[in-house]
Amino acid sequence: MILVEANAEKADRARTDDFEVVEGDGSREPVLEQADLATADAVGALTGDLNVNFAACMVGKHYGARTVLRIDEDYREDIYRKFASDVDEVVYPERLGAIGAKNALLGGNVRAIADIAQNLQVVELTITDESPMKGYSISELSLPADSRVLAFGKEGSPMGIPLPDDSLAVGDRLAVLADFDVLEDVRQILVGDTSRATADAMQGGT
Amino acid sequence: MVTAYVMVKANTGEADRLKNAILDLDGVVDAHIVAGDVDIVTKLDVDSPGDVKAIAADGIQGIQGVEDTHTYIAME
Repeated sequence: MILVEANAEKADRARTDDFEVVEGDGSREPVLEQADLATADAVGALTGDLNVNFAACMVGKHYGARTVLRIDEDYREDIYRKFASDVDEVVYPERLGAIGAKNALLGGNVRAIADIAQNLQVVELTITDESPMKGYSISELSLPADSRVLAFGKEGSPMGIPLPDDSLAVGDRLAVLADFDVLEDVRQILVGDTSRATADAMQGGT
Repeated sequence: MVTAYVMVKANTGEADRLKNAILDLDGVVDAHIVAGDVDIVTKLDVDSPGDVKAIAADGIQGIQGVEDTHTYIAME
């Protein structure tokens, strides 16, 4: 991996940390060429300036690289996916930060893992003493139509593929993909009613 | 004759709808969805500076999903 950095101080710091650094403006082809663009598999255009990022992606595409563009506001995601054909992937890093912050604030037995689409989220839920499904097996679990169990883990064990015979005990965790509309139902079924405030906060989105 | 460029910042991903709504306004001759800090650049050709204000302030700002506009009147 080769970093392209316009700021001399930041470039120095990256070199100190043993990164290979090209100093210059990432929106300019000659600068990117110094970073062996012709042999690069991918170009990550991750600056705070959308014009620089877009230009770097156009140059990268021209050289046949996979391109990743960082956007600065989440509403622009759809726009760039639709209109920027030189861009393979659009990223909005602040969203990951927001998920992390939200989980830290919530604590407890519901944890957001990822926003899959605008209305679709993967959450990890922990079975509590109040859980209506405590003691039942996964095959007996009936969740709303717009939700799926993706993974299951006994307390203290890593998550794995859910099996019909797995039993749900206190402390066990399930990863569920659910539409926002049914997230509250899923939470009531798996976690129980005690953490009303948690659920309200979860529905607030990222 | 007054030519002006209006930079439009959106707050919605429906760039197509915004662009079409802008193009439907009288006095707007061109509009493009662009990469960068603003989302749409619009070109106006009108009779007077007052018309520029009317289109930018009332017309474009009145479209749902438009967050902000910046207007530049051409000097030549």
